[in-house]
Amino acid sequence: MTDTSSVATAREARMVAAFVEMADTLVADYDVVDVLHRLVEHTVALLDAAAAGLLLADQRGSLQVLASSTEAVRLLELFQVQANEGPCLDAYRTGERILADDLSTVDRRWPSFAPKALQQGFASVHAVPLRLRGEVIGALNLFGSHTGRLSTADLLVAQALADTATIGILQERAIRRGEVLTEQLQTALNSRVIIEQAKGVLSHAGDLDMDLTFEVLRDYARHHSARLSDVAAQLANATLDPRTVLTHHSRQRHSAPPH
Amino acid sequence: MSGDHAVPDPAVSLERLRAAVALALREHIDVVDPLARLCQACVQLLPVDGASVSLMTGTDQRETIYASDAVVDHIETLQFSLGEGPCFEAFTTGRPVLVTDLAADAATAWPVFAAQMADRPVGAIFAFPLVHGAARVGAMDLYRTRPGWLTPPELAIALQVADIAAAALIGPPAAGPGAEIDEEWLASLPFHREHVHQATGMLIAEHRVPAGQALALLRGYAFATGRLVDEVAADLVNRRLHPREIAQ
Repeated sequence: MTDTSSVATAREARMVAAFVEMADTLVADYDVVDVLHRLVEHTVALLDAAAAGLLLADQRGSLQVLASSTEAVRLLELFQVQANEGPCLDAYRTGERILADDLSTVDRRWPSFAPKALQQGFASVHAVPLRLRGEVIGALNLFGSHTGRLSTADLLVAQALADTATIGILQERAIRRGEVLTEQLQTALNSRVIIEQAKGVLSHAGDLDMDLTFEVLRDYARHHSARLSDVAAQLANATLDPRTVLTHHSRQRHSAPPH
Repeated sequence: MSGDHAVPDPAVSLERLRAAVALALREHIDVVDPLARLCQACVQLLPVDGASVSLMTGTDQRETIYASDAVVDHIETLQFSLGEGPCFEAFTTGRPVLVTDLAADAATAWPVFAAQMADRPVGAIFAFPLVHGAARVGAMDLYRTRPGWLTPPELAIALQVADIAAAALIGPPAAGPGAEIDEEWLASLPFHREHVHQATGMLIAEHRVPAGQALALLRGYAFATGRLVDEVAADLVNRRLHPREIAQ
């Protein structure tokens, strides 16, 4: 009894902290890609999910993976886009929450996706659409390592996180102008390309595994209170020496063995 | 001719445009003719009256490659001489700048530009950056005599046309027997997977070149070896190919 309530209190405190952090971020001059990454991290920490990913539609109608909590989920999201099937795509297309509480029973619905997700160790998926004034712009997807559906309370939290993501993407400027998501989406998607280019710079300059480079980039940006995509752009247009970022990284974790 | 535009099937029109631009890229040494086709397509596909494409390497180095009429040519010239305006902002911020009512919106953002535009028949300007990640190559400007928004489907078309323009400007001149590759290139640039962007980054670090040039190196190597850009990029990222092998 005491245990349950203290767990609940701790969780509530974490939830408050997460939303406060997101709110703080959104009033400052923030970086969409960074916000979305924080958001998937919060999603995993707050809800009963093993991993989370966020898909965003560009104005050409194709979906892009904007953030993911793990590499496995990023690949699984990409797989859905390529195979053109899966709960996240359905959430985007229908604008409804898609709940797959047992992936072993849905291989008729998603013949390519279901086995692939099971193989990655996931047993359930909850996909929540990102909605804006009747338009669906993407989906926040929660992957579970066990079967079963989220509680109603958790689903509400998931929807609130998805709505926070929508606000983050829109930015204050677009809201004020009451129009056009296009500019924001384009910027967010192009930031994603810049970040990948910067990862390539770091990977080659530091002989670092590509999967580790995002963390290096993000740690550097956070430590210097800089926007993630600004740091990425500086690396990609060679106005920031990758060694500066890499040195910072190795100083932060000098006890770790060299890669 | 703004107003009653019936766009039959944008996907088909864009496909035709890609083919026409690819053909023009093969037949001409420079990019003027391909971009002229592209600007003309904007006027046909969208409720706009004129279009232009300018190449920029910085805010101080720019050149209007094609302007479909004297009005849009003036818009470009004026911005370049003043150093302000929607096309500049699109280029420097890397995001589309949609000025739906020039008289009302431009005065605060670009006062000098707005004042000088006051007597011109321009109601709205839509400026799109020509970018690919950190590679910024220029801007595409569309104008319309009357104020008003582009609808979301129209914006989607404009963005795809801007992608074609960016792809045409990034990379080495494509004259010669590069037939299939050029069309593939024009169609696929924005859809490339991460490893293409990552490989571009590796080339930036190895050769100390800007992003656009790094992408051009990648493309040139793929073309010369008869492989797909995607494959070469995967080899680089998976360390089966060293970036130094991709010589300048």
